[in-house]
Amino acid sequence: MKSYIKEFLEVEKPKDYYGSLVAEIEEKNREQHFITTLNSNIASEDKGRLPFTVKANICVKGFETTAGSKMLKGYLPPFDATVVERMRSSGNFSFLGETNMDEFGFGTFGLNTEIPARNAFNSNYVAGGSSAGAAVATAMLKYHIAIAESTGGSISTPAALNGVVGFTPTYGTVSRYGLIDYANSLDKIGVIARSAADARIGFDAIKGRDAYDTTCSIEKIGNSGKKKLFIIKELMDKAEKPVSSSFEKLLDRLGERYEIEEIESGIIEKAIAPYYIIAMAEASTNLAKYNGYKYGMQYGETNKRYNNFFTEARGDFGSEAKRRIILGTFIRSESVRDRYYAKATQVRSMVIKEMQKILKEGFIISPALPIFTPKIEDAVKLTPTQNYAMDVFTVPPNFGGFPHITFPYDYYDGMPLGAQLVTEHANDYALFDFVSGWEESFDYRFKYNLGEL
Amino acid sequence: MKIGLEVHVALPTKSKLFCSCSMEESEYPNLNICPICMGFPGSKPMLNETAVKSALGIANALHCDVNRKISFVRKVYFYPDLPKCYQITQMDDSIGREGYLELENKKIRIRRVQIEEDPAQIVRQGMLTLLDFNRSGTPLVEIVTEPDINTEEELREFIANLRSILYYLGVDINREMKADLNISLAETRVEVKNVTGIKSLIEATRFEVERQSEAIKNNEKIERETRGYNEKSRVTESMREKETDEEYGYIYESDLGTFDISEMEYVEPVYITNVSDELARGSGVNPKTIKEITMLNRDALAMIYKFKEKYSMKSILHGIQRFEKYSNKSMKTEDAVKIERIIRLVDEGKDISREAAEKIIAGEEVNIQYSNVTKMEIEALIEKFVAENPGILEEYKRNKKTINLIIKEISYKNNMHPKDVSDAANAVLNRIS
Amino acid sequence: MDDLEFERLLKTTRLKLDDIERAAIQKDIEEVIGYFEKIGEIDTEGEEKAYHPIKVDARLREDSVSKFADVDMLKRQTKLHDGYIIGPKL
Repeated sequence: MKSYIKEFLEVEKPKDYYGSLVAEIEEKNREQHFITTLNSNIASEDKGRLPFTVKANICVKGFETTAGSKMLKGYLPPFDATVVERMRSSGNFSFLGETNMDEFGFGTFGLNTEIPARNAFNSNYVAGGSSAGAAVATAMLKYHIAIAESTGGSISTPAALNGVVGFTPTYGTVSRYGLIDYANSLDKIGVIARSAADARIGFDAIKGRDAYDTTCSIEKIGNSGKKKLFIIKELMDKAEKPVSSSFEKLLDRLGERYEIEEIESGIIEKAIAPYYIIAMAEASTNLAKYNGYKYGMQYGETNKRYNNFFTEARGDFGSEAKRRIILGTFIRSESVRDRYYAKATQVRSMVIKEMQKILKEGFIISPALPIFTPKIEDAVKLTPTQNYAMDVFTVPPNFGGFPHITFPYDYYDGMPLGAQLVTEHANDYALFDFVSGWEESFDYRFKYNLGEL
Repeated sequence: MKIGLEVHVALPTKSKLFCSCSMEESEYPNLNICPICMGFPGSKPMLNETAVKSALGIANALHCDVNRKISFVRKVYFYPDLPKCYQITQMDDSIGREGYLELENKKIRIRRVQIEEDPAQIVRQGMLTLLDFNRSGTPLVEIVTEPDINTEEELREFIANLRSILYYLGVDINREMKADLNISLAETRVEVKNVTGIKSLIEATRFEVERQSEAIKNNEKIERETRGYNEKSRVTESMREKETDEEYGYIYESDLGTFDISEMEYVEPVYITNVSDELARGSGVNPKTIKEITMLNRDALAMIYKFKEKYSMKSILHGIQRFEKYSNKSMKTEDAVKIERIIRLVDEGKDISREAAEKIIAGEEVNIQYSNVTKMEIEALIEKFVAENPGILEEYKRNKKTINLIIKEISYKNNMHPKDVSDAANAVLNRIS
Repeated sequence: MDDLEFERLLKTTRLKLDDIERAAIQKDIEEVIGYFEKIGEIDTEGEEKAYHPIKVDARLREDSVSKFADVDMLKRQTKLHDGYIIGPKL
């Protein structure tokens, strides 16, 4: 099994390894914009440990953490997120920096922030979002692991577009304490790495119950292998060329080891609307707290009456954030709440039940995205609902809190294509085994190997 | 008149509702604070077990259908003292639903008992809004009644009984009771928000009732509105319209889960009216006397139970009242020896003078021994006293109570049993007047 | 969504938009709400509400006190006056 982490930890590093790594990153970052906060002290702190980054919505004590938002400019968290504390205390990892993202996680392509990250294979293309910088960093740094976060596909999408392994665990296995919330019932902290074995090492370091996050309550994580792979017909119909044709070839190869069955979706294909309803309703409450005093951006004009003060200060949200706050607030309004929010929670029950039934029998496999990586100039033209349609494969497992992993399975025009594998709740380990098996017969390609030894 | 109340009471905990910051009073602002009670990005709530237990005891005491599963909601509104700009509170899955509190002649229905967090404290200094987050995250219970209160007396009785119930559950309502009132004399419901303290609550009600009756008398329309109570000028004033439920946009608090509390233990309530009735039965004392003494004094109740086989109920109450009158404080268990001295004397039929009581309170033993005298001798003393104080007979003719003055004077000076002196004085005065 | 409702939402969310942003966002919101309407067709009769994707085994916190280590760090990112945090005018 390929593990960059093990390889790195076992090898003697040159004297100023970390210093030159930081310099290399600074240089490449001017082009790729994947790092937002860099710990240039890593050289003095490190004792041969592997550098890790966290998505910019994960609090690191004393390091500017903005969640990609102007509203949090200058925010220095007074505490470490639980995952940061666990990475450090594992003894194997050392904090390198924070990675770029869509503002508060609102985006599929990583473009909803002041200076977006760019695809590691070709900087004219999108990096994918919202954990854009985490995936780009993983694709660029040879020895590194990224702690990222997914609400509706924010790990799968950028990992797939940058040709790395993106793992999103079962909801409730990794503590969200210190994660700047997007949607509390959907947010999951996960790992992006260069191999399944490394993703597993990262997951093992951060998982486990935490008194600081009531919802993090799953203790037993299993590894029940499956012999069947399910394809959901209605979802596959949305996949365009070259994705659909490449994916056919993947199925042919997997067919040698797994029984592949195409099934009808039932409720699963209807998951996107209720997913966004719940995500926006929750997001609109989470974003109420950003008001230009206490922390982050300081509006300063405290002689203004509070309603005016708030309204002026909140002008610093980006357009997508404003859109989601307004929509989420509308959905929560007493007069329509049952029609949208309450109903969406019921549809979630139905989606979970249906997926559980399928996942008991086997994995669900699909491309990560229905289209080939778009150019930045094309992606910005998409309307909101066209954007949401990109989440057709990533939303169902995220909506239902099911663990899933993406892995590179083909290259087209020099750009990677990623597939996504989903399993039952708390069966996360089965995903690593599947992808490790795949890695035995398929070599991942990387354009950069910064920090190579 | 229909009055409904929303009463907020702080729950007795060591730490805050959602974090481990201390609930102890702090001399300085912003000392007992952390990322959670300041609503910093990334922080999450952790629900305090003691707060839930305490609130469960209250819900049970108010005869609520106690929910076996509880969850929380977010209530969103923008105000500088609200750290997250949403308050974590409860709605449908609150700790208690559909209970009642019993008054002498009726029941006041309780709609809901809910747990919620207190915002930060605002201190206004000139033009500045100063925020102290020490208070932020204080665990509160909110008791919401149906509009079943119809008179000021009922309002007083409701508050008194509620206060006693809470007191016996270990919740001190006087610490800081805040209430919202809704009052309707006619069709229109007027809300009065943020009334602090029991006195203000009564005053605000009185003001609002008068204001609305006046309006009705003058055929003026009563606005459906939210008013605030101004403690200084003792009037209610129209407030700028607050958000409605449409704006609050409640949703489930998914940073917490649904808590199963079916196994949780809680303190059983004491209904002091029932207890007083029970203790008064057959003792010849008015149960209200027992209620008055015990409703906010668990030590007094304990003492009554302790002594009730040994002394008559009348003597016990008399003893406690004497003690409280002359020591000018509520009795405590540690006063038991002193109080028993008083009770014993009373039980022996002796009268306790202020002097005697004060001696006992100071810790001395007092032995009241009356002189051995005949009825004739007492009557002679009284006749002498009347002769030496010529005005007194005229005074007695106008006001029969003057006799008490004579009794006191004679019995204390000569160490005679007041009852004997009283008999003699009545006989003498009847004869000569 | 009519202008009146949109205005109410702006007021409720404490957001203001310039004309260009407003036109764009209002149009987007129409589109998204239309998209959300689709869930009306799903028959959810008798379905439980899933507030979380998994069953959360929610535990209570024992009522004990611990002091946060970096109180100063909580305060020094904003304006202070005598130890108080200065908020906007009431």
